[in-house]
Amino acid sequence: MATETSRTRHYATVARSRVSRLGSAVQEHPLTWLLPAAIFLCVFLLYPLVEAFRMSFTNMSLIEPDYSYVGLDTFSRVFNSSDFWSMTRITVIFVGVSVVLQIGLGMILALAIDYGVRRGLYGSIVTRISVLSAWVIPGIVIGILWKIMLIETRYGVINYIIVRLGGDVVSFLSDGQMALLSTIMANTWRGTAFSMIMLYAGLQQVPEYLQDAARIDGASPLQRFRHITIPLLMPVLFINLVLITIYTVNTFDMVLALTGGGPGRATEVLALFMYFEAFNRFNLGTAAAIAVVMLLVNVVMTVIYIKYLLGEEEF
Amino acid sequence: MAALDIDGLVKRFGTGGDEIVAVDDVDVSIDDGDFLVLVGPSGCGKSTTLRCIAGLEEVTEGDIRLDGESIVGRKPMDRDIAMVFQNYALYPHMTARENMSFGLKMTSDLSKGEIEEIVEDTARMMGIEDLLEKKPRELSGGQQQRVALGRAIVRDPAVFLMDEPLSNLDAKLRTTMRTELQNLQQKLETTTVYVTHDQTEAMTMGDRIAILNGGKLQQIGTPLECYHQPTNQFVAGFIGAPSMNFLEVTREGTRLDHAEFSYRLSEATAERIDSETTELVLGIRPEDIELVDGEEPNAFRATVDVTEPMGDSTHVSLSIGDQQCTATVDGDVIVSPGEELWLTFPEDRIHLFDAESGVAVKNREASLTGSEMAL
Repeated sequence: MATETSRTRHYATVARSRVSRLGSAVQEHPLTWLLPAAIFLCVFLLYPLVEAFRMSFTNMSLIEPDYSYVGLDTFSRVFNSSDFWSMTRITVIFVGVSVVLQIGLGMILALAIDYGVRRGLYGSIVTRISVLSAWVIPGIVIGILWKIMLIETRYGVINYIIVRLGGDVVSFLSDGQMALLSTIMANTWRGTAFSMIMLYAGLQQVPEYLQDAARIDGASPLQRFRHITIPLLMPVLFINLVLITIYTVNTFDMVLALTGGGPGRATEVLALFMYFEAFNRFNLGTAAAIAVVMLLVNVVMTVIYIKYLLGEEEF
Repeated sequence: MAALDIDGLVKRFGTGGDEIVAVDDVDVSIDDGDFLVLVGPSGCGKSTTLRCIAGLEEVTEGDIRLDGESIVGRKPMDRDIAMVFQNYALYPHMTARENMSFGLKMTSDLSKGEIEEIVEDTARMMGIEDLLEKKPRELSGGQQQRVALGRAIVRDPAVFLMDEPLSNLDAKLRTTMRTELQNLQQKLETTTVYVTHDQTEAMTMGDRIAILNGGKLQQIGTPLECYHQPTNQFVAGFIGAPSMNFLEVTREGTRLDHAEFSYRLSEATAERIDSETTELVLGIRPEDIELVDGEEPNAFRATVDVTEPMGDSTHVSLSIGDQQCTATVDGDVIVSPGEELWLTFPEDRIHLFDAESGVAVKNREASLTGSEMAL
């Protein structure tokens, strides 16, 4: 009896140690820790991506249940359509001007806040919070907000101010060029906050002693900015540039709410073109092909930025 | 090269209740070509003083003159100074050559070729000509410091300001660089203000040293003056390693009473005490303490706690009653922890300070040379 008890105990100990060995093996294997993220990425990122690629090779439609694989026909249709090139032109203007303005204004704000904080001036926190609030508002709300501001009667907020200052009512949203400008303005208003946060964080990484050394070396504030701040900000500027370019290329909700792509198709950026193609004209295959083109554009842009802006060297 | 005068310098930070006086009425004159070391513990105002000279901080009160001309209010670039920083402050995105030529590009009308020539000459002098194409991250601490020095030298300034330039180097390299810096300064004959918290650096490098504490100038003089004739207990304790021993005593005529011993002064020495106060602090440098066999007058017993053999000498940590004290004895004297020793303080070596104000009322009898005293 006693022998049996001790044997059972022995087996229990062996089993426990095996389980614990197995546990530690599982725990120590990198796969255990990578798997949750890998599953998440596969389900929510990779699968839709692969699906978009697959769809782009079909003539899938929202109203026809049947579809067939048409190879590169969808792409060739997209590239041969004058609409696509016209939307691309609008997108390039929208993205180019927005990015330049967002970086420029973001930099000015970041420098002003940095200066304020270093000098212990009042109001720098209030400024940061107000600028940040523009960033946390959803794009669709920003679109509606700006639509209200830009109402084309004397009761629209901005037109009211213009009229009070002695000007005429401006067709912010019904004139093609002005509508594009208004869209850029609203997008810049939103995106500047992100630029500011990134660049402000970057400025904190530029050591004060380097600025002191440059002051001793006789560099004026502008020269210090040009020769010390900008080169040291390059990595942050680069990341900022890539991210805001990608965000702006993909901007869709704000434009939809603000102009709906109009007047005519004056503000129909590629993302909106893709949306209309899928849900207004029901051409899922074409929409997927545009999505793939946009993805490739984003990837190519990132590669170009990495290659030419940062070079291969980091300091 | 120029003479530098600091006159009643005051620097306050903050306002109202948050006001901090970093530098409090400091007067220092530095002769043309002199090497002055500003030394003191952390937060004593030495770096702030240096930054005021550089123009990196605005002066609250007082004047700073370069060759008699006030430079207060001038921008750093208009002061004809160059500065070497504690963490080298080399521009990380520039090569050593670009770092060294940056100041000349910003401030001079020299052609590219002329700047190159100056940079290369300086690099040769500093022994860093092979490093010119390297970026700071590719250089060791010592090499970075040489480039930082080179960057200051190419400017050929009237004054060099150095803010703890050796404190980031390891001990061995620090010693080497100390000598190099001195040689360089003697060769260039440029007026130099050097800030350090390390009293050894101050003692070994400076023509004169200025000791600061709590923003106030405590003493300015040659290293040996400050060592042998400290104006107060702070200077006496700060200068010298191991630091001076302090024992609280009460004066009764010619007798100094301590809880553990009584020390009798000669009439002549007692007369030299420049105070009527009875509460004094007796100071004695570790190397001035003598071991005796117990028969000597003014001898008393102390117990050895710890010994630190240095080779040529041994630092012996002793207990005199409850008080700790350090004696430096010859390296060949063998003492062990727990051993009882008889000590005496030679009368001509003792310092006495007012216990309340800390002011020196009697210093050790001078053994300085004539030229040393003349300074």
